Amino acid sequence: MSRSPSSAPPESSTSSGPPPPSTRGGHQPDAPSYFLFLWRAFRTAFDGRWPYYAWMTLLTICALIGANAWAHQVADGLVRTGMSDHVSWGFYIANFTFSVGLAAGAVMMVIPAYLYDDHEMHDVVIIGEMLAIAAIVWCLGFVIVDMGRPDRLWHMLPGLGRFNFPRSMLTWDVVVLSGYLVINLHITGYLLYMRFLGRRPAKRWYVPFVFVSIGWAVSVHAVTAFLYAGLGGRPFWNSALLAPRFIVTAFVAGPAFIIVLLEVLRRVSSYRIGLGPTRTLHQIMKVTVAANLFMFASEVFTSLYAGGAHASAVQYLLFGLHGKSGLVPWMWTAIVMNVASIIILLLPRSHQDGRLLAFACVLAFIGVWIEKGMGLIVPGFVPSTLHELVEYTPSWTEWRVSLGVAAAGLIVLTVALKIALAVLTGRVTIEGYVPSIRPPAPAREVAAE
Amino acid sequence: MDKLKRRSLKVLGASLGAGAFAVAMEPLRAFTAGLTLDQFLRSHFRELDPEELKDLLSRLEQEASEKIGRPVTMRADPPIEGVQFGYALNLSVCVGCRKCAEACHIENNHDRATNNSYIRVLEMDQGSLDLERGNADYDHPVPQPGKYYLPIQCQQCENPPCVKVCPVEATWKEPDGIVVVDYDWCIGCRYCEAACPYHARRFNWTAPVVPPAEVNTDQGYLSNRIRPQGVMEKCTFCLHRTRRGEMPACLEACPTGARVFGDLADENSPIRWVLANKRVFVLKEELGTRPRFFYFFDK
Amino acid sequence: MPHPTTRTLAWLAVASSLVACKEDVPQAWAAPASASQPLPIEVRQPLKLTSIETHERDSLGRPVRIACTTCHSLKTTAPMPTSPADLDEFHQGLTFRHGSLACASCHVAEPESGPLLHLADGQRLPTSQALRLCAQCHGPQYRDFEKGAHGGLEGSWDDGAVRTKNHCVDCHDSHAPAIPKVIPAAPPRARDSAEGTPDHG
Repeated sequence: MSRSPSSAPPESSTSSGPPPPSTRGGHQPDAPSYFLFLWRAFRTAFDGRWPYYAWMTLLTICALIGANAWAHQVADGLVRTGMSDHVSWGFYIANFTFSVGLAAGAVMMVIPAYLYDDHEMHDVVIIGEMLAIAAIVWCLGFVIVDMGRPDRLWHMLPGLGRFNFPRSMLTWDVVVLSGYLVINLHITGYLLYMRFLGRRPAKRWYVPFVFVSIGWAVSVHAVTAFLYAGLGGRPFWNSALLAPRFIVTAFVAGPAFIIVLLEVLRRVSSYRIGLGPTRTLHQIMKVTVAANLFMFASEVFTSLYAGGAHASAVQYLLFGLHGKSGLVPWMWTAIVMNVASIIILLLPRSHQDGRLLAFACVLAFIGVWIEKGMGLIVPGFVPSTLHELVEYTPSWTEWRVSLGVAAAGLIVLTVALKIALAVLTGRVTIEGYVPSIRPPAPAREVAAE
Repeated sequence: MDKLKRRSLKVLGASLGAGAFAVAMEPLRAFTAGLTLDQFLRSHFRELDPEELKDLLSRLEQEASEKIGRPVTMRADPPIEGVQFGYALNLSVCVGCRKCAEACHIENNHDRATNNSYIRVLEMDQGSLDLERGNADYDHPVPQPGKYYLPIQCQQCENPPCVKVCPVEATWKEPDGIVVVDYDWCIGCRYCEAACPYHARRFNWTAPVVPPAEVNTDQGYLSNRIRPQGVMEKCTFCLHRTRRGEMPACLEACPTGARVFGDLADENSPIRWVLANKRVFVLKEELGTRPRFFYFFDK
Repeated sequence: MPHPTTRTLAWLAVASSLVACKEDVPQAWAAPASASQPLPIEVRQPLKLTSIETHERDSLGRPVRIACTTCHSLKTTAPMPTSPADLDEFHQGLTFRHGSLACASCHVAEPESGPLLHLADGQRLPTSQALRLCAQCHGPQYRDFEKGAHGGLEGSWDDGAVRTKNHCVDCHDSHAPAIPKVIPAAPPRARDSAEGTPDHG
């Protein structure tokens, strides 16, 4: 579970093609040094002070609880969930959708860093890419636990199974998600490996990939939206606004998570993180939270004013329908949270007060999680295609399995950040390895591009 | 010394973690125990050559027979060349007795606990085709004044959204127009269930249970054999019957003769007469699914 | 620098519209492969056309039926009553809900003449041909019946095979033809209602 997430990509930098030109000292990349990199990254993952161990133990316990619940679910069938033939997707797919957004939203650090040459952002952009990797782990996890027959996953492998590409949007999603994972693994792995060797990274080995990843991030989430928007039988989803809404909510959830993460890292790590990135992300959120509220409002208006079959799902979502109102309190909570968060984000005080800003981010994050998770998936099924009203509540199994998947993703994120920061602060290099129990070495300047 | 202690603590922690993982995953054994390598590696139905198909059918037949202690026939009749199945239903004479749903339940070896059936009958207000005003759970004598009854099952669309979305081609449209599922290929993602505008697809949330004495032993690979857990299933117009010339079970059960089944390619068939002479309509025509299931009123 | 998203999206648009285009073209049904000579559809002959149920059973437990002719060929029928209420010896308790028809609208009053039914034009009709009697008022239903669209068609959908269909009186009581109300079979149960959530385990 704690294997280095950067194991795959740097192969391309070591094996396929000539070594990048060295512009500033350092070691030549070769196979032994690469394995040393992997080995030291691995050691770093198992090394830390007691809060790190406590945190990892907690995550491991949560992951194990989830694994156990999932094992029961596979053995007994999805009968252990709250889903039915009426509401055939639930909490898992809701969390999947949200996680795709998180993965795509992480690119909001890459765009300022590379498209707008924001130097301070450049120093921490790797954190966003690590979040993207962890978020894809969440995506894959939530999709796999939702499958009725995980033993047949291989039926999806091109060549071995029958991959219904390009007809099925789900196959598109598989392609874009795994592609996004590979791209991000490559970029982060390459940059860290070069840092490990003490070399300046060669632009041609990562800059093109960074630009691909920006486009890819948008396509990842657009494809996920098309997964739903392409279903003519589900009026609540069959909207052209769904993909833009997905992108905008992604750019709420991603930056919100990263602002809080940066705040945490400032406290637990010796790596110097400037306030510039937080300021930029704050500005982005001012736009995206508002844009999301606006898009949601125009969906609601279009449905309710016109009335008819399209209105009933929105009515169920916001006001309840024929006495069924399971989502109403959740949805209004989400709306209140989103509104509160935009108000706080617009307050001048939130620029000085880190805690207040973090609070606004938490509000926006949870608000989007509700709105784009359960608030999006469930009304697609309630009322059903035959207009029957069968409600859905996640079962304990679903909560436990989801907790497990969330914990697994957080393990990946923690380990990835641990390794990244250890390399960036120069504690882990080709020359040596400084266990973190000793007082951390003074932070080194990050290589400027 | 401190280093050694630290290392042994790590080893202890790692082995504890591995042990806990093994314990947590223990329930999976029940699942893998019932899964042979052969089943795991089974090819897609359409990739089997005639010899492999024969072997597979006889093996399935044997398994099914052993399970219920009675001989089961397992067939995979190919589509009849030139035949295009279609269905029409006369809403003026349907009384909503759900005999069709019941016959489907028995014929197709549905799970007894859920009273599952591929047919859902909606009680509708006369003068309205708004499904929102329909009710599938009615339980009073029928027909009620002011109501009509709308049985809905798989519409065997010409442009089936469910087939389009399947990521592994586990569901497809046969040459005679029937949309089928390979229960041994489906991965259980339920995208097709989300895509279907007619609530025609059902998922096996757990392994279906049919008492051995009640099992219909006349079984088809693509139709009514008992489904495994975790896969999709759907109405196949009883292709294990219709492909040898018989009528679907729901038609034979209908006490009012509301159902007309036949070959759309045969211009002398009753269904073609209905299409030509009745004012027929299809459900949710605006979605472009082009159903092969037609409804009509007499008056 | 080539922007991959644009290409991806273009691909998507082209691919999906191509796929959709092909599927939306209505296809003409192919002509039948083999034009086999259709066999005529057999109409069931219900026993109640020619005999009447008694409450007795024979030594093998089979219900005993008595042919109409048992009485109607021997016994002189009393004059035709105007309504079922006037029946005082035979066929008592007959429920009648078939518009404003009188007994004589269909039944023949003179017993010695043989056939017990008559058409509107006075032509005599044996009970076994009651279908024609129904058809004279219920033209559209009779047309649908002839075409296989009313009355249920059983046996096979294939016109080269043996097919049977119901007689009018299989489903309709000629004296009260509306199909009576029935208690429907049980509705399907949503699987979640059986379990309730959150679950345990």
